[in-house]
Amino acid sequence: MDVDISRKTYVEDIDRGIYDIRNEFKYSYKVEKGLTEKIVREISEKKNEPEWMTEFRLKSLEIYNKLDVPVWGPNIDELDIENIVTYVKPRTDMKYSWEDVPEDIKETFTRLGIPEAEHKSLAGVGAQYDSEVVYHNLKGYLAMKGVIYTDMETAVREYEDIIRKHFMTVVPPSDHKFAALHGAVWSGGSFVYIPEGVHVDIPLQSYFRLNAPGAGQFEHTLIIVEKGAFLHFIEGCSAPKYSVNNLHAGCVELIVKEGARLRYSTIENWSKNMYNLNTKRAVVEKDGTIEWVSGSFGSKVSMLYPMSILKGERARAEFTGITFAGNGQHLDTGAKVVHTAPYTTSSINTKSISKDGGVAVYRGALVITENAHHSKSTVSCESLMLDNKSRSDTIPVMDIRNDEVDIGHEAKIGRISDEAIFYLMSRGISEEEAKAMIVRGFVEPIAKELPLEYAVEMNNLIKLELEGTIG
Amino acid sequence: MIVIKDELNSLPIKTYRWLNVNHLKLDECIEKDRKPFCKRFFEEMDDDNISIGSINNIVTINQHLSRINNEKQEYGVSGKMVDMAENLNNAGVYAYIKKGADIEKPIRIEYGMDRENDVVIDNNIIVASENSRATIVVDYCTLDDIDAFHNGAMKIYAKPGAAVTVIKIQRMNDNSNHFDSNIAVVEDRAEVNFIQVEFGSKRAVTNYISNLKDGGKSAIYSIYIGNRDRELDLSYYMNHIGRRSISNIEVKGALKDRAKKVFKGTIDFKLGSSKSEGREGESVIIFDKTVKSKAVPLLLCTEDDVKGEHAASSGKIDEDKLFYIMSRGFSKEEAMKLIVEASFNPVIDRIPLEDLRDIVRDELARKLIVEERI
Repeated sequence: MDVDISRKTYVEDIDRGIYDIRNEFKYSYKVEKGLTEKIVREISEKKNEPEWMTEFRLKSLEIYNKLDVPVWGPNIDELDIENIVTYVKPRTDMKYSWEDVPEDIKETFTRLGIPEAEHKSLAGVGAQYDSEVVYHNLKGYLAMKGVIYTDMETAVREYEDIIRKHFMTVVPPSDHKFAALHGAVWSGGSFVYIPEGVHVDIPLQSYFRLNAPGAGQFEHTLIIVEKGAFLHFIEGCSAPKYSVNNLHAGCVELIVKEGARLRYSTIENWSKNMYNLNTKRAVVEKDGTIEWVSGSFGSKVSMLYPMSILKGERARAEFTGITFAGNGQHLDTGAKVVHTAPYTTSSINTKSISKDGGVAVYRGALVITENAHHSKSTVSCESLMLDNKSRSDTIPVMDIRNDEVDIGHEAKIGRISDEAIFYLMSRGISEEEAKAMIVRGFVEPIAKELPLEYAVEMNNLIKLELEGTIG
Repeated sequence: MIVIKDELNSLPIKTYRWLNVNHLKLDECIEKDRKPFCKRFFEEMDDDNISIGSINNIVTINQHLSRINNEKQEYGVSGKMVDMAENLNNAGVYAYIKKGADIEKPIRIEYGMDRENDVVIDNNIIVASENSRATIVVDYCTLDDIDAFHNGAMKIYAKPGAAVTVIKIQRMNDNSNHFDSNIAVVEDRAEVNFIQVEFGSKRAVTNYISNLKDGGKSAIYSIYIGNRDRELDLSYYMNHIGRRSISNIEVKGALKDRAKKVFKGTIDFKLGSSKSEGREGESVIIFDKTVKSKAVPLLLCTEDDVKGEHAASSGKIDEDKLFYIMSRGFSKEEAMKLIVEASFNPVIDRIPLEDLRDIVRDELARKLIVEERI
């Protein structure tokens, strides 16, 4: 067969279609640009927050002003925090029925398939439009078991004791500049509480969305899974495209108690002008398990490194991630694990694809402290380069301070091998199909971990054009 | 007085600050004066195919250097340390190997530091002309119980088709400082292999870069022992510039007591380095829970048609092996030494001189058995 097998194949961008339809920009309340004490007080006041929360916000603002931006990672110079309207309150107040949600907002969610998703066996929907949760629902029988699933604002009022005890203790505002920013201006997000021994058999889902141009989104998620309980939480993010650079500095705090298990799945598909500087962290107690499934497809710049702190004996962390960086994207993602107790185990498995000038970076950290004897960890990173305009870096760090450990780390980089294509072609498969098969095979171990309703997005992602257009 | 106020061995790409691996920050004064090194440190060679001399012989060296493309190279543990070695040196060797020459006898350089000569600042330049072959052995050691200071630089120019092997052995005593910067310019189809033995000094900061052009090959085989309060900061960088270049970094270590080690290994596939391959691996045997072992194996890539791989592993010494050897009448220390030696042997066997292999094995035994008994 006379075919040039080294010809490059063009992988289509994810069809953003419905995500990029933007609604007419309407809002009822908007604070002035920039970040001052006055704005922070205003946010707190509008939310009718207790005194301690206002104080917390102001303290975070103080820390924010002291800290510098990270000296490492992607260039975020274009991000001018002074010009980002940090808070935009949507027109509607809390609604508990789908029918009450305004038509244009509802339409957007319908396009994203949220109500259908809910009907399709999802336990609850907490859809966030701009900074406030506008729609909330949780199936009755879960509420009867004592499961709490509500927005953060309500939680601060109704479950004040729990929130006060745990809010930003897993990720303190002093962690980094954007965590401090989050502490000062956080708004919206979800609070989930699973009581001891409760097994939530259907996943809870929240869908975040940004609509106002130049608006930052600082949603806060706090999940507490009590002793022996189980939860699968799905978080999806998308935003329509605007010319103003958007910032997302959310914060996710997960507390996994003794013997509990939490699976936290995320698909981030922000529009390509978004700065996604999200902080996610889990603290896992004795015999507990945290499982992260993370897909990063969107945004202009992402800095996202979910962290697991294995605090109790035999605690376990698993991280499965995929990153796809296309034209104009710099996706700096990875995972951090800190083993602080004996007999803890972790496994990190990531895949990244870069094409068309995209930059995909795996940045990891693995720390085994003096106490964590008999810990085990395996890290595996694979990168696929689809052309030579792109960039792919692997930056793992291992810090081992114990002798009784078993650590393995491996990483690979390369492109689709000519031999593999040649082999498949020799079996009568066309060149294009062969390449498509290989890419599908590459992401398959991750794809099967993704929540069902995101399979469509995944399929679009790996859809290969039938005829090569690059190279 | 030698003042070192500097950031050494900076990572090519920075990462999280809390891990403290972006660079080694030093701010200290070493109570030493720069003074002449009055000892013979190299052997003359009776071979027309090689010119070898002291770096201070400026006339000869310029004559040879004019034949190489002496463009400014960025390398070393830091700009300041390289500057010190290149411009304020008190020792150093240049060697020029003629076209097509095959120098079988290794070029031996030995910096033996003693009470009178406890400072070595050396600048070494090796030029291997087209299709020549040579082996260079450098030994840094302390002969007296002194606190010696060493800061050195070595530039290796391997012209097209040349093959150079450099072996560096560092076995200075536990009071000494050791800084070492190396660069190899590996031209078309040339090959540079670098074998490093880091067994000594209180602090060892070393840096090695290979710039690989079309079809260039480079390998690093490194072994280290960290015991007592030794600090090691080892940085290796394989810079794939040309097509079909091949690199390999293989590092093996053993850490015990309160030793601290940072390993930084980078494989960088630059645009245009298509069909290149690079791999790196580090494995460490950890003896005590008081050691600190950090590893940063970077893989950077802007070219699609390449193959890159890295692997790292660390773990405790295999108890079953230890038990087996001890059941045969060996002491625990001897058994540990045997296991480490087995891991290091593939690298030790690459040293082409028997007396040097013995020196390395004796040193290993001294570190893991004799010093244990003191």
